[in-house]
Amino acid sequence: MNSPLNRRWWEPYLWLLPSMLLISVFVIFPIIIVFKLSFSEISKAGVIGGYIGFQNYKDAVNLPAFKTVMLNTFWWVVSVVGSSTLLGFIIALVFNQKFKGRKIARAILVFPWATSLVIQASVWNYIIKYEYGSLNSVLLNLGVIKQAINWRSSYQIEFIWECGVGIFVTVPFVAFCVLSGLQSIDESYYEAATVDGAGFWDKLFKITLPMVRPQLTVSTVLNIIYVFNSFPIVYTMTKGAPAHKTDTMITYLYMLSFYERKKGPATALSVIGFLILCACSGLYMITVMRKEEEQ
Amino acid sequence: MNNPDVLKSNRRALILIVIGLALCLILLSMPLYSFSASVYTKKSPNTFVGDEKYQQVRAEVEAVAEDYRAKGHEAVIGEDVLERVNSKGKTTSLITFTISESFDRSPLSLIRPGFNASYVLGTMLALFALALVCAVLGSAGTLALEHHFLNKRASLLRGTAAVALLLALLLVPVFILMNNYSFSRQLGLYNAELLTEGKDALFAKMDLLLFDGAMGDQIGTALNGLTMEHSGLLWMLLPCLLVSVLAAVQLRYGSVQSSAAKAMLYFFVVIVCLVTLYPYYVMTVTAFRSNAETLDMYFLHLFPTKWIWSNLSDIIHRGVPRYLLNSLLVAGGATVLAMLCGIPAAYAMARMRFKGKKAFLGFVIMSQMFSPVVLLIGISQLMNTLHLNDSVLGLMLINAAFNQAFAVWLLRGTFVAISPEMEQAALIDGCGTFGALTRVLIPMAAPGIVTALIFVFINAWNEYTIATVLISTAANRPITVGITQFSSFNMIEWQYLFAASLVATIPVVILFMSIEKHLTSGLTSGGVKG
Repeated sequence: MNSPLNRRWWEPYLWLLPSMLLISVFVIFPIIIVFKLSFSEISKAGVIGGYIGFQNYKDAVNLPAFKTVMLNTFWWVVSVVGSSTLLGFIIALVFNQKFKGRKIARAILVFPWATSLVIQASVWNYIIKYEYGSLNSVLLNLGVIKQAINWRSSYQIEFIWECGVGIFVTVPFVAFCVLSGLQSIDESYYEAATVDGAGFWDKLFKITLPMVRPQLTVSTVLNIIYVFNSFPIVYTMTKGAPAHKTDTMITYLYMLSFYERKKGPATALSVIGFLILCACSGLYMITVMRKEEEQ
Repeated sequence: MNNPDVLKSNRRALILIVIGLALCLILLSMPLYSFSASVYTKKSPNTFVGDEKYQQVRAEVEAVAEDYRAKGHEAVIGEDVLERVNSKGKTTSLITFTISESFDRSPLSLIRPGFNASYVLGTMLALFALALVCAVLGSAGTLALEHHFLNKRASLLRGTAAVALLLALLLVPVFILMNNYSFSRQLGLYNAELLTEGKDALFAKMDLLLFDGAMGDQIGTALNGLTMEHSGLLWMLLPCLLVSVLAAVQLRYGSVQSSAAKAMLYFFVVIVCLVTLYPYYVMTVTAFRSNAETLDMYFLHLFPTKWIWSNLSDIIHRGVPRYLLNSLLVAGGATVLAMLCGIPAAYAMARMRFKGKKAFLGFVIMSQMFSPVVLLIGISQLMNTLHLNDSVLGLMLINAAFNQAFAVWLLRGTFVAISPEMEQAALIDGCGTFGALTRVLIPMAAPGIVTALIFVFINAWNEYTIATVLISTAANRPITVGITQFSSFNMIEWQYLFAASLVATIPVVILFMSIEKHLTSGLTSGGVKG
């Protein structure tokens, strides 16, 4: 069926056309606009002027919060992706065992994945309020603590909470990716290993881990991209306050362009972010393409 | 089958059960709760330590204390001196005399009807008795039998013993926390007059329990300064009982190891599920509280004192139905569009051979890498040019475009997995390529298509960032942006925020659960299976 003789050469392209059009107009075109804007002068009112070279980039790098924001972004991505990969892997290992109520447990695990990030962030915002939050309420009423605790006493701690919420919403994705890999492992590998006298750790590192590596790679790379791009958690919980100290790059560039009217540096930051993502996706594509070739 | 080793280990297990329970009972009858209460206070203003008035009041207080002592109380007198220089340079003073009592009680002696913790402890004791009886009856005459050869009755009895002890173990923290609640938290709330209902009845009961009813009218004062602390030894109940539990498991199953692993497994699963569900509990419970209760500084209750169902009808008048409709339009439209464009592309990718196939695949994967956020500025510029700013249609197109990659990818994976023979047959029968696709392939690929469909729908439904930038008119907001109106800078109406969130979350969670099985295969099929 691969090529019926009467098919014209342009027919496949016709089939691709709607999809190409949609992506080109709404994804590729904005990329071009952002690139162009990043080299143009933009007034505070948003009027676009002529070419000014790398001035916007210089402005962006010289912004007082630039270093903090880049560092935050780094820690945000590393801690969220790292922790949720580890936790998700462990949860997947456990949820892959046979036990009563496994279906229900897995259905519950889907919840955070299915819920809008802005809603999740709002709920956690309420949970950790000092004056009336739910966490204090639950702990006090259970008698675990005697006095209300201020869960967000400094911006560093608030940032840690943001990372925590990020991990909370990312874990299910990793867990389900790993689960799909675990399900495809043949039971006989483990039986053979047991006969050979392999212990729990041997099996984990010599069978399980290599077998789910493709899924782990996919979920890690996708997570790096999703987490890097994540906006609602930080925006809802702190809005980057105080003075951008809890901002990540994405929320920062939003603030810059839509609140502080610094569209020039904001577009430059967009391009920087775009290039970072390109590097990540390049890595990803190489992995995927290699898989493709193996088949 | 009678085995001396089995006899020995079973006997040891029985003895351990008894020892564990005995230790628990000893702990429960030890005076681990220490109370202290002020039974009498007298404030004496303008009094200085040692002066005439002081002597007089002190004597009065001593007399009262004697009365208490006569009734067999300890009655320790305490003074609190407060001296202050007022604005005229004169020193004023207030001395507060208190007669306080401290006494220790054992958990067992706190058992009284009307206290929830007492019922828990009572249940625990009943479980102890049940476990003991079952363990003994279940071992009578079968002590030397290996657990595989037990008859039904013996294994049932031994099993009951293990389960009863496990339940008792779980009740230990419940009991400790509940007692804490009754004697410090709940009492504190009554004293601060945050709770009023049922106060008199409870106080009368506490009078009987703590002071043998001696306080009468004075009980309010006495309980006002009541403090209760429990010794850390109380938590030793857990290890003591654990010994019994493990021994009972050994008695029933012959070995502890496998059961312990299973127990750990369940423990882990339960913890994960509880943590996952916690925000949803908060969302649901808060959605039905009154506004005052959502902002209550005293953390009154785990559940609303009154479930306010009108919160749901209130949000109807705050534009929520409109937002839901917008979300439905955006998500539904984006899904349809993504499928209409995606299915042909995926079909071509799966079934046709042409130049630039790899380039297109790269193009598609590339576009998946960029969330719209990093391109926000470009997108808003583009939308301005197209006059699609602030419109549901614009939002729909963007969502369709940014989910296109995923749709193509997932559908291609589904199509590749289906053998092309059926379509070839259809082609030979004279169907066009289009006919082969719609009449043969799409019905066969239905599960995969539905998964992709739901996934795109949920992504678009939950999208927030682009909507918040593009939409400025209230009537065009999707629900994710709409709910933020309930949290303005100076006032957050949590109950409405969460009521609307609940309404927005339930349908997508249900949809997501329906595709749970296909979720992972779909997601990683593009990358892993090719």
